[in-house]
Amino acid sequence: MASALMTIGVKAMQANYAALQTTGHNIANANVDGYSRQSATLTTAPGQFTGSGYLGRGVDVSSVVRAHDEFLTREAANARSLAAMDTARLEQLRRLETVFAGGEAGLGHAAGQFLNAFVDLGNRPSDPAARQVVLGRAADLAARFAGAGSALDQMQAAVGAELRAAVGRVNDLARGIAEANQRIAAQRGLGQPANDLLDERERLIAQLSDLVQVSRVDAGDGTLSLFVGGGQRLVLGVGADTFSVEADPADPSRFAIALTEGSLKRTIDEGSLGGGSIAGLLRFQNQDLVDGRNLVGRMATAIGAAVNEQQARGLTLQPPLGTIAGSDLFEFGGPQAQAHATNARGPGGAFLGSVALTVTDPYALAASDYELRQDTSVPGNWLVTRLTDGTQVSIANGGVVDGVQISVAGAQPGDRFLLQPVGRAAAGFKRLLDDPRDLAAAAPLVARQAPGNTGTASVASLSVGVAPLPVPGATARVTFTNDTGSYAWDLLDGGGNLLASGTGLWQAGQPIPAPPVDINGFSLRLAGVPRTGDILTVEPTPAAAVATNNGNALQMLALRDAALVGGRSIAEGYGQAMADIGVRVQGSRSAADISSAVAAQAEQARASQSGVNLDEEAARLIQFQQSYQAAAKVLQVAQSILETLLSTAGR
Amino acid sequence: MRISAANAFDRSVSNLQLRQRELTEAQEQLTSGKRVQRASDDPAAAARAERALAHQARADAEQRALDASRNAMQLTESALGHAGELMQQVRERLVSAGNGTYSDAERRTLAEAIRGLRDDLLAVANRGDGAGRYLFGGQGADAPPLADAAGGVVYNGARGQLMASAGEPTPLSVDGEQAWLMAPDPANPPATLSTFAVLDSIVADLLTPNRPPAAIAQTVAEGVRRIDAVSDNLQRWRARAGESLNRIDAIGERIAQTRLDAQRQRSEAEDLDMVQAISEFQTRQTGYEAALKTYATVQRMSLFEYIR
Repeated sequence: MASALMTIGVKAMQANYAALQTTGHNIANANVDGYSRQSATLTTAPGQFTGSGYLGRGVDVSSVVRAHDEFLTREAANARSLAAMDTARLEQLRRLETVFAGGEAGLGHAAGQFLNAFVDLGNRPSDPAARQVVLGRAADLAARFAGAGSALDQMQAAVGAELRAAVGRVNDLARGIAEANQRIAAQRGLGQPANDLLDERERLIAQLSDLVQVSRVDAGDGTLSLFVGGGQRLVLGVGADTFSVEADPADPSRFAIALTEGSLKRTIDEGSLGGGSIAGLLRFQNQDLVDGRNLVGRMATAIGAAVNEQQARGLTLQPPLGTIAGSDLFEFGGPQAQAHATNARGPGGAFLGSVALTVTDPYALAASDYELRQDTSVPGNWLVTRLTDGTQVSIANGGVVDGVQISVAGAQPGDRFLLQPVGRAAAGFKRLLDDPRDLAAAAPLVARQAPGNTGTASVASLSVGVAPLPVPGATARVTFTNDTGSYAWDLLDGGGNLLASGTGLWQAGQPIPAPPVDINGFSLRLAGVPRTGDILTVEPTPAAAVATNNGNALQMLALRDAALVGGRSIAEGYGQAMADIGVRVQGSRSAADISSAVAAQAEQARASQSGVNLDEEAARLIQFQQSYQAAAKVLQVAQSILETLLSTAGR
Repeated sequence: MRISAANAFDRSVSNLQLRQRELTEAQEQLTSGKRVQRASDDPAAAARAERALAHQARADAEQRALDASRNAMQLTESALGHAGELMQQVRERLVSAGNGTYSDAERRTLAEAIRGLRDDLLAVANRGDGAGRYLFGGQGADAPPLADAAGGVVYNGARGQLMASAGEPTPLSVDGEQAWLMAPDPANPPATLSTFAVLDSIVADLLTPNRPPAAIAQTVAEGVRRIDAVSDNLQRWRARAGESLNRIDAIGERIAQTRLDAQRQRSEAEDLDMVQAISEFQTRQTGYEAALKTYATVQRMSLFEYIR
C-alpha cells in the first residue's frame, strides 16, 4: 500500500525535476540564437483498476517538445532573405553614388570647367599660359573620367569577391544542413524529437536565407530538402549540391551563379533567386552597375568625341601656321561587342561570328547596352534590343542604332551578342596632347561685314561643321537683297571662279544658310539686323591671323550648350545622371528599411512563439519547485505510513 | 503575446542604434550646413544644385571673357583718344604752315614735326592689349597690323573683329583697316581716305621747296579737310568702343545677377534651414533620451528580482 504512494511520490518528483530541468535549459539558452523554448509534457499515468474504481498511479514525463511554428519560421526566413537582398544592393548602390558626386568634386563640374577654360584661350589665343590652363583642365577631366571608370571596375571586382565569399558560405551551410538531416533522421528511430538538432538545422537554414532564399520540403523521414531559384535543389535529404561563381555567358567581365548537380553545371537566373544577399549583389551588378557604367560612358564618349571633332575643325599653333588642323585631344574606350559564350565556334574554338561597332553620332548615344540576335521574321536582318527599356529595332547589316553603326560578320543563326557602345569609355579616358600649341583655337575661316554695310548685322558666330573644308581657300559672300532678310550667296575659289551659289531667307536666331544646307562646310549666325545691299564675307583665315584668332575656341565654348548627353547639355545631363542614381539609392533605402522592418516583425512573431521569456521561466521555476516539494511531502507521508506500519507490526 | 527576452533585447538595441544614427545624421547636417550631402538625400534638389553650380562656374567664365573685352575696349578707347590729340596737333601744325610769311625752312621744320606725329600715330595704331594681341589687329595679326610699305601704310591683319564669348559676343579687337585706312571721304563718296596716306602727302607737299603760295594754301586747305575726315572716322571708332564699354557694363550686371541667382538657387537646393534643423535635432535628441530611459527602466524589471 505504501509502495504505491511512494511510487507516485517518486514519479511526481521525477516529473517535476524533469520540468525544472527543462526550465533550467530554457533559462540557460535564453540568449542562444535560434533556440526554441522546450517544455516537458506531463501525462497522467493510467489508473489501476480495483473493485472500488480506478486508483491513480501518478504522473509520467511523456516527452520534451519544443515550441515551434513551421509557418512562422518559414516566414521569418523568407523575410530575412528579402531584407538581406535589399540591404546588399543598398550597400553597393551607396558606393556607386560616390562615383556620381556633385559639386566641385564632381565629374560634371570638371567637364564644365574644362570647357570654361576655353574662355581664357579665346581671350588670349597666343598666350601659352591660357593654353596650359586648358590642357590642365583637360587632364583633370580625363583623370576624373578614368577615376570613375576604375572605381566602377573596382566595384565589379568587389561584387565578385563578395559573391565568392557568399557562395563559399552557402556551400558550407548546405553541407551542414545535409549533415543535420542525416543525424535527425538517425535519431528519429528513438521515437522522441531531437529538439536541439532541429534548432541547429533551423539556425543553419536561417543563416542560409541571408545569402539565398530557399524553399523547403519536408520529406517525412525527418529530413528537410531545400530548393533555390524556383525549384533547383540545393539540399536533398542527406546530400548537398554546390554553388559556384562563374563568368556571365553574355559578358565575361560580369559574374553569374551556377549550381552543380552531379556533373551538370546550371547557371541560375538572377531574377529567379528571389532573395538573399547573392540576389542583391547580382541585381546591383546586372542593372545598377551596368547603368552607372553607361551613364558615365555616354558622357565620356559624347564629350571626348565632340571635343575631338571640334579640334579637327580648328587650326593649331604648329608651323606652318594655318595648315595644321587639330588632332584628337582625348582618347577613350571605344564601343565593344561581346559574343555570347554559347555562340557557334570554329574548329579552333574561336567564335565564327563577330560584330564591329562604330560611333557615327556621339550626340545620339543612349546610356544602354544592347542585345543583338538574328531577326527571324526578316531574313538577313538583325534584331537589336535596347536593354534599358526593351525597345527593339530590326536593322540590316551596317545599320545605325542610337548613333552606333553595327556591322555583323560571320554570325550563325542562334548567335547572340551583347553590344556596349559606351560602357567601357570612361575607364581608358586620357588626354593625348601635351604641347599647348596643339590646341586648335583658331578657326579655318573668318567672317566680316563689308565697310559700307548700313544694317546693324554683325557676325555673332561662325561654325565650321566639317573637317577638312570641302574647298580650302574658297571665299564666300552673302549679299542681302532686301530689308526682310532675303539673301543670295556665292562661293568663289582662290582664282575668283564661281563654285556654287544659292539664295535663302534669314530669320532672327536662325543660321545662314538654313540647315541642312551649308556653304563650303560653314554656317553663321547674325547679331543685329541686315539691310539691303549689306555684304558678309567668309574667307580663309590668313596665316598671320592664326596665332591670335579665337574662332574655334568660341565653338568649343558652344559645346557647353550643345545637346550632347541624351538631348541635354553636359551640365544638365550630369545632373540627370546624378539624380538617376540618387533616386535608385533612395528607392533602395526605403525598400531595405521596409523589408528590414518586415523581417524584424516576422522574427518577433517567430520569437514570441519559440523564444524564452525569463519571467515565464521564473514563474515555472516556482511552480515546479513547489510541485517538487509537494511530491517530496508525498514521499515523506508514504515513508511515515510505512514506519507506522512497521512499528505497529513490530510491536 | 509572449515577449521573447532575447528578441526584446535585440529589438531594443537596434532601435537605440537607429535613434543614435538619426541623431548623428542630424548632427552631420548641422555641422556641414548642407541638407543635401549626396544625391540620394534629395535627387531633384541635387540635380538643381548641380545645374546652379554649372551656371555659377559659367558666369565666372563669362566674367573673365567680359574683363578681357573691357580691357581691350578701354585700351582702344584711350588709344583713339590719344590719336585724336595727335591729329589735333597735326592740324595745328598744318594750319600754321599755311602762314604766307613762312619760309621753306620753317615749313620743313613743321613737316618734320608732322612726320614725328605721324610716326607716333602709327605706334598708337599698333598698340598691343597686353594679352599678345594688337588693339587694331582685326581677326588676328602676328605682326604690327599697320605697317609701312612701298606706296604707304598697309593692313596686315585679318579684317573684321575678334569676339569674346561673354554669353553674347563682345569685341576683343577693332578692324584696324576700317579705323585707320578706310575713313569715308565726305567730299568724294564712296572713296575712302587712309590716315597715313593723308599725312604722308601733307608731309611730302610741305617738304617740297619753292612752291607758290597758292599751292601751299591749297595743300593746307585740302589737308585740313582730309585731316578732319580721318579724325572724324577715328572719333567714330572711339565712340563705338565707348558704346561697347557701355554694353559691357550692362552685360557685367547681367552676369553678376546670373551668378547671384545661381548661388541662391544652389543654396536653396542644398543648404540647410538652420532653424528647422536645430528643432529637428532637438526632437531627435529627446527621442533618443526617452529611448535610453525606457530601456534602462524596462530592463530592470524581472520576476527574478522579486523571488530572492
